[in-house]
Amino acid sequence: MSVFTDKFSATLPPPTRKSERWKYSPIAKLLNHEIEISKASAQGLNGWPESLMPNPVLNLDAYLVVFKNGVFEPTLSDLPVSDGVDCIPFSKMDQSGPLEFSNVYHQKEWIGELNDTYRQDGLSLHVHRNVKVDRPIVIHHLTDGINVASFPKHLIKVEEGGELNVVIWSSATDRSSGMYNGLLEASIGPNAILSLEKVCNEGGKVFHFSHEHIVQERDSKLKMHTFTIKGDWVRNELEIISRGKGTDSVFNGAYLPLGTEHIDNHTTMDHTSSDCTSSELYRGIMYGHSTGVFNGKVFVRPDAQKTNAFQQNTNIVADRGAAINTKPELEIYADDVKCAHGCTVGQFDLDALFYLKSRGIDEKAAKALLVEAFLADVLSSVSSTELSAEIMSLYTERHGW
Amino acid sequence: MLKINNLCAKVGDKDILKGLNLEVKPGELHAIMGPNGSGKSTLAAVLAGRDSFEVTDGSVDLDGIDLLDLEASDRAREGVFLAFQYPIEIPGVSNLNFMKAALNGKRSHQGLEPIKAKDFLAKVKECSSLVELDGQLRDRSVNEGFSGGEKKRNEIFQMAMLEPKLAILDETDSGLDIDALRVVSKGVNAMRSSERSFIVITHYQRLLEHIVPDFVHVLSNGKIVKSGGKELALELEEKGYDWLKEPSHDTSNA
Repeated sequence: MSVFTDKFSATLPPPTRKSERWKYSPIAKLLNHEIEISKASAQGLNGWPESLMPNPVLNLDAYLVVFKNGVFEPTLSDLPVSDGVDCIPFSKMDQSGPLEFSNVYHQKEWIGELNDTYRQDGLSLHVHRNVKVDRPIVIHHLTDGINVASFPKHLIKVEEGGELNVVIWSSATDRSSGMYNGLLEASIGPNAILSLEKVCNEGGKVFHFSHEHIVQERDSKLKMHTFTIKGDWVRNELEIISRGKGTDSVFNGAYLPLGTEHIDNHTTMDHTSSDCTSSELYRGIMYGHSTGVFNGKVFVRPDAQKTNAFQQNTNIVADRGAAINTKPELEIYADDVKCAHGCTVGQFDLDALFYLKSRGIDEKAAKALLVEAFLADVLSSVSSTELSAEIMSLYTERHGW
Repeated sequence: MLKINNLCAKVGDKDILKGLNLEVKPGELHAIMGPNGSGKSTLAAVLAGRDSFEVTDGSVDLDGIDLLDLEASDRAREGVFLAFQYPIEIPGVSNLNFMKAALNGKRSHQGLEPIKAKDFLAKVKECSSLVELDGQLRDRSVNEGFSGGEKKRNEIFQMAMLEPKLAILDETDSGLDIDALRVVSKGVNAMRSSERSFIVITHYQRLLEHIVPDFVHVLSNGKIVKSGGKELALELEEKGYDWLKEPSHDTSNA
């Protein structure tokens, strides 16, 4: 028994390197952590660190839902209150209870089971038929403390014809350690649109696990972005199930780890219905001694004729000590489909670098231009320019370009 | 202005430049001709600061500055410009951002403020019309999807923007049709002045009908083996290079 499993009991065993899904992201270090289950109550601004703002994207005109170490902070939040949108933390729910979904992640994965058992709170977000939510909803998770853990789960349902933009932002102070284990389940109704941006900007030494399970109905659109700006150990799992005809799924991501950071992106796109498109683009630059994993699965089931699926993962290994393991997986059971995928691992283009330098641009600025160009295709599809500018400026600040 | 003394350079184990001497005075235009593999493009790359070549001996002095001691970007800021034989495509980097970064890099080196947006755009207009590229650069990435001719014109556009002290043109005529050659030559000629020097590397006399050199040098086996006036180019066109070639002294046979 490890320190961790003494405290956190689960019927499922923790994943080991023997499983393909966890081969390149061992969690042995986590299991030796003495993590506490936070029992704190909301503290408002008094308990908030000075180094961070409750609103992570100041320039974005948005609703705000703030959680600290898994606990909802009502006085720091600004929830939408209008007809057609129910945006309520589980802890504030009346007897009607949160939305229900059918995902079984908690029965399949140890991480999911822990979330289910130790969840402090979460958000239930219901957008009614044909309602277009007027502003983005920013869900901000702060981890602040030594050996703390948060287990949020959010439920999102966008009914037929509705529109919603959600940003899930996680941050952590530099002194922090512990675990973030966040789940999200979403269902996008017929003709509905969900834009979801996930940003991890965590200082300290936090094990960050997140899992999104998104089901799309007929003619719905999903636009999803996963940005890792900073994070000691990060694993993002994304599962998209296209369950109706004519769905469109765009999911992009970027990661630029430094030092000894570890970043893992596992994605699954499951096409079960016909006439659907999906487009996936993940780009990463590995610096220092960082390690990374990309695994992208695309399933095209027998009924998913006329599917058009695109997947690309492009990596630059910038320094000698860095490494990335990348693996695309396509399983196609339909015969009239168009699927393209590719993974590349390379270095900065030395010819391009010399070309820029030969015009008087110094090495640092030249690399910054190349990085900006490299990330442009991922950033350009973000729902708001305020958000993409903030993300780019955080990358710029962190890397000192 | 430029003094190259006994320049020796190699790539890997292969010696390419083997004691090259050349002096270029302000306002002069020197053409360097020579057979394939004689070291012409290596000379251009070594002067511009490409670090895949190792300089093993010699010196390069630009107005009292030891060029070989500087990074490529600092050489550019001191006024060296290389027009590439094969300009590089950089998807995602806009032409204009690229030129702005280049211009401001040079200006900060000179202790000047960044250029004002209005002045920058005026300069872009002026320089792009010089090579008949007006209005075609704004929304495009650096050289991406450019035809061969457009790429070479873009090189001359960049030269006009950066106003170098010493411009090195590496086979700027390769891949150009007659019309593009005329446009490029016109751009180069418009840039000629008593303070600006040129080294023009070419295989063919054709370019030198449009861009008339003060001196012509023949580079063979890493050294300049013959120098003369513009009439030398005509002689080469007629007789080829064989009569000038130095026997190669391969170390493995020594």
